Amino acid sequence: MNEVRNLDLFGGTISSLEKGLSYATLKNKTIAQNIANVDTPNYKTKEVSFKDVLNDAKQANIPAYRTDARHYDFKINIGGSGVYSNENFRSRANGNAVNMDAEQAKLAENTIYYNALIDRVSSKFSTLNNVVKGGR
Amino acid sequence: MSIFHSMNTTASALTSQRLRMDVISSNIANVDTTRAKQVNGEWEPYRKKSVTLKEQQGQFSNFLNMAIGKTEKIGAGNGVKVSSIKEDTETPFKLVYDPSHPDANAEGYVQMSNVDVLKEMVDLISASRSYEANITAFNANKSMLTKALEIGKG
Repeated sequence: MNEVRNLDLFGGTISSLEKGLSYATLKNKTIAQNIANVDTPNYKTKEVSFKDVLNDAKQANIPAYRTDARHYDFKINIGGSGVYSNENFRSRANGNAVNMDAEQAKLAENTIYYNALIDRVSSKFSTLNNVVKGGR
Repeated sequence: MSIFHSMNTTASALTSQRLRMDVISSNIANVDTTRAKQVNGEWEPYRKKSVTLKEQQGQFSNFLNMAIGKTEKIGAGNGVKVSSIKEDTETPFKLVYDPSHPDANAEGYVQMSNVDVLKEMVDLISASRSYEANITAFNANKSMLTKALEIGKG
């Protein structure tokens, strides 16, 4: 029994769910901002691009450019991206383009999505708990 | 990027909408005010006030990110703020014929405030609806946070 095994207890599920949660949080912030600015002249609806967030999750870190092997390595993390503004929309006379019904629908959808992810995380933990306790 | 960011965003909107309602109340209350302020020794009627809203821009880091080439990558933003409360100097005062009024001019006309009560009521309902929408957003956010606290409990 000399073999040291890396016990992959948590797998990738929880970190995937975590990325989903951070996407839902960013989306919630954006919807809150849109609803807050429903009466702001010339405000354009902001949206979160799922693709951008996915790309960022894959390559969120910019590694340092090292000219010598003895240099310390560090990374820059760029957060809060994936949000873009629809500049061309124009729905009302004051230049505001927030569609309140659409925003409310997105808000409800996002909340359910978030709750679903939380349920998955919780059930993952309770499964692990069950395993750790040996089913007792 | 704190967890209460959305709540702060919504709170800023609630504050702004409430201020809007306060200003509308002031307009409706002063619809018959003939002596609001003195200009060159003459009394002037109340002028309709209106609130201008502005998007609250992000913090320094957002602008830095934009400046270093990520131009389309704007942050979610920080809500809304009241940029100014302006007096309506465009709409003329209403002239009402009432010779017995203390503020009547030589021809017997009184200058009344330029508040249109109908428009104020419409604005009031609009502000009230926006307030409700923000309450919905706040409650949704609150339920999400409460749910997040339940991770690992069951």
